[in-house]
Amino acid sequence: MIGKDRIFSTLEAILKKSPAEQTEAVLIGTTSALTRYANSTIHQNVAETNSKVYFRTLVENRVGVASTNSFVPGDLKRTLLNSYYIAENQRENPDLPELPSKASYPKLQTYLKSTASFTPRQRADKVRRIFKKAAKYDLDVAGSFSTSQSEIAVVNSRGVRAYQSLTGASINVIALSPDSSGYAEGLSRRVRDLDFEAIADTAIKKCLDSKSPQEIKPGRYDVILEPCAVGSIMEWLNYIAFGARQLHEGTSFVSGKIGKKVLGENITIYDDGNDGGGIAFPFDFEGVPKKRVYLIQKGIAKGVVHNSLTAIHDEVESTGHALTPEYPEDPMALNLFVKGGNSSLRGMISSVERGLLITRFHYINGYLDTTKALMTGMTRDGTFLIKEGKVKHGVKNLRFTDSIVRAFSNVVTLSRERQVINSWWQDIGSLVCPAMLVKNFNFSGKTEF
Amino acid sequence: MKEKIKSTVSHLKRSGVDYADLRLVRKTTESIAVKNNNVESLSRDENYGFGIRVLYSGAWGFASSSIVTPAEMKRVADEAIEIAKASATTLKKPVLLAECDPYVDTYTSEYEIDPFSVPLEEKIELLLKVNSILLKDKRAKVAKSSMDFYNTQKFFASTEGALLEQEILESGAGMEVTAIENGEVQKRSYPSSHGGDFATRGYEFVKAMDLVRSAERVREEAVALLKARTLPSAEATIIITGAQMALQVHESCGHPTELDRVLGTEISLAGGSFLTLDKLDNLQYGSKVVDITADASLEGGLGSFAYDDEGVKAQRSYLVKEGRFVGYLTSRETAAVLNQRSNGTMRADGWNRLPLIRMTNINLEPGEPSLEELIADTKSGYLLDTNKSWSIDDQRLNFQFGVEIAWEIKNGKLREIFKNPVYTGMTPEFWNSCDAVCNRRDWHLWGIPNCGKGEPQQVMHVAHGTSPARFHNVKIGVSR
Repeated sequence: MIGKDRIFSTLEAILKKSPAEQTEAVLIGTTSALTRYANSTIHQNVAETNSKVYFRTLVENRVGVASTNSFVPGDLKRTLLNSYYIAENQRENPDLPELPSKASYPKLQTYLKSTASFTPRQRADKVRRIFKKAAKYDLDVAGSFSTSQSEIAVVNSRGVRAYQSLTGASINVIALSPDSSGYAEGLSRRVRDLDFEAIADTAIKKCLDSKSPQEIKPGRYDVILEPCAVGSIMEWLNYIAFGARQLHEGTSFVSGKIGKKVLGENITIYDDGNDGGGIAFPFDFEGVPKKRVYLIQKGIAKGVVHNSLTAIHDEVESTGHALTPEYPEDPMALNLFVKGGNSSLRGMISSVERGLLITRFHYINGYLDTTKALMTGMTRDGTFLIKEGKVKHGVKNLRFTDSIVRAFSNVVTLSRERQVINSWWQDIGSLVCPAMLVKNFNFSGKTEF
Repeated sequence: MKEKIKSTVSHLKRSGVDYADLRLVRKTTESIAVKNNNVESLSRDENYGFGIRVLYSGAWGFASSSIVTPAEMKRVADEAIEIAKASATTLKKPVLLAECDPYVDTYTSEYEIDPFSVPLEEKIELLLKVNSILLKDKRAKVAKSSMDFYNTQKFFASTEGALLEQEILESGAGMEVTAIENGEVQKRSYPSSHGGDFATRGYEFVKAMDLVRSAERVREEAVALLKARTLPSAEATIIITGAQMALQVHESCGHPTELDRVLGTEISLAGGSFLTLDKLDNLQYGSKVVDITADASLEGGLGSFAYDDEGVKAQRSYLVKEGRFVGYLTSRETAAVLNQRSNGTMRADGWNRLPLIRMTNINLEPGEPSLEELIADTKSGYLLDTNKSWSIDDQRLNFQFGVEIAWEIKNGKLREIFKNPVYTGMTPEFWNSCDAVCNRRDWHLWGIPNCGKGEPQQVMHVAHGTSPARFHNVKIGVSR
């Protein structure tokens, strides 16, 4: 960790030397570690110390971006001049906005010393206990356990000075028997908040309960999607639908439908970087404070997320969803919440006459027809038949192919309880999802296990 | 720098490691993306650092840093040892490495024109020209053209005495256009989707694509798809073009032959493999016309190099021979399980990542007929082109691919086009239904720069040499 004072003083000194009209520097520094295990032994165990600095320079409606992972002043200055050279050689874009101006940010507790100081030995101790637990049932386990500390800073020539230090801890556990598997995961800024025992117990129970899985025919089933399954659908939905770019390009299922009902009335989806119910983070990579944005409210398409560039296009304010400077037209929601309902998972199961309980999906792809959010993917690590309100037995994995617009218009109930689900943007966001009971979900194929 | 590295390797030896290696990597990237006649993004990135991998008391540890100083190298070396000691607390049996000759060598990939020396103006001009052609129809709403260039300098040293320097230059470009009318959205890409085509070549590779000449056809096909019928659901004969075949080989042959997946060490993310050890030399993976090789020694492929990131020399080996499954992609650790030597497929996507078994150039070897002959020989079927979506189960059996366009084949001739084509199958059944692979004239080494694997996730550059091939009784049009 470089530290707030050194980052600000170094970057501000560099910015003062910039020949550009406006200049921005974004720093992402990280010290991270990950312990990976399989066959109930640690087989990969890694650590990384790295920092990356982006410079974005604006010269007469032209923009240049260059980046380096060196924090040596000479390298920083060279990279700044590189971005200026690129801007000079760029084409003019009359729609290019100014860099954001000075802002204030809510104070969020995102850094926990206990996570930052977690050692390889401590990680090994935690996973060894999981191995022991699984061994009692003659099961193997695989998974990964990571801890990290990071810092993100944005400084620009118009007065933005944003800094946040953060920590993250996440674990996933797959329990394995010769013919079944079970999955569970946990994510928190505070490593002590991860309930390793409960996570292991869940994975083990799912694995044991799905032993000797039976084959069932593909077709339409009522399904209960557990939060991890909902999370992986939401991750794709976010990617193809909830950004300004997808709206403008006409490829999102909400394109041309803002203000109209697109999903069931019980579906509300919003993004809020300041909501501590998820992995909160207060500003985007332009230093704009994050706003709560309703994407879907009671089934009605309400809006999309913006950065400065896309906001100009729509004559609105940025919502604080810029990614790093090499993605200028790709604002993205990173702190997604799906509003819960009034049911419990147990209550949902008892209401199903014949259906499936799905732990999670594997390898979803949402490019089939983005205007309908048509997706495909496989079930994985715990798929069960529900009969007459009870979980009966495990079933072999199935391929779903269905429109999520249709599926999310057919949600009968949502659980009150929600889970914080990990995603590729770990440490600066998450997906907070309930379980969902969906009528007539379509399975188009099956596999052998 | 060599002295710093040698000194760190000596320090590791003195610390009592069973084995250690150090990789120092400098990577420079340039990306240009043009969208709807505007330069959407133009950026350069420099990335520099080192990673140290140690085997201590039979267990692995890895640490890395972007601060390249002698003191930091020593700190990171000690950190890697501490991590290995923690790993050792769960060890069941010590890691053994297959023998490897400790090479001392240098290598630079071949190219004619350094893309970083080509003026930005020239590159932007070409992409803008392509964009303007793609947009010459009011139904063509979103046009994108892009180029990406990578220069990677790697230094590798091991406690066994290996000392390797490699410099690899990669270039790629592509275009896509999205046509929209009355809520219908259709896309065409060239030379392939998801960023185009890539190779371990210089700017001459981009020039040879002749993007400008292809732009009009790409736009017309995207617009024509707006009024096309959806591919019907059926069991049909299909011919898959080379670009889509590259993805098919990637997902259903490349990944399942990675021996680390087979041994269970990738379960936590991407899953395992149906090609379990008992199937080696025993499974009829495909029909007799199916030969699949791994060949990092091929020139110009995105999976080409002289030595992998364990210092093993690049080589060619069969994965599938006359349809029989005969080999895996291996590392020194996994090859030892089979009492073999590594076939050199360990790569990391940077200094800060641990090398993993990665595809190199995984190739469907060419067969006899030309594409024209194969189409003429097909009474009824479909020709499917350019990947749109991909999904496969975690043992790599049940797959489903979507492509951008299909042409009906009737009595040996291409007829009507169809939109939203999807096909699905089970891997061995599918490959056993293959009765023809087109010849070398239609064979191309496709570069794929975005293969994901590992935790923390790594994105690898790989390639697939493929030509079109024909398959029978394939389920198509199963989109809902």
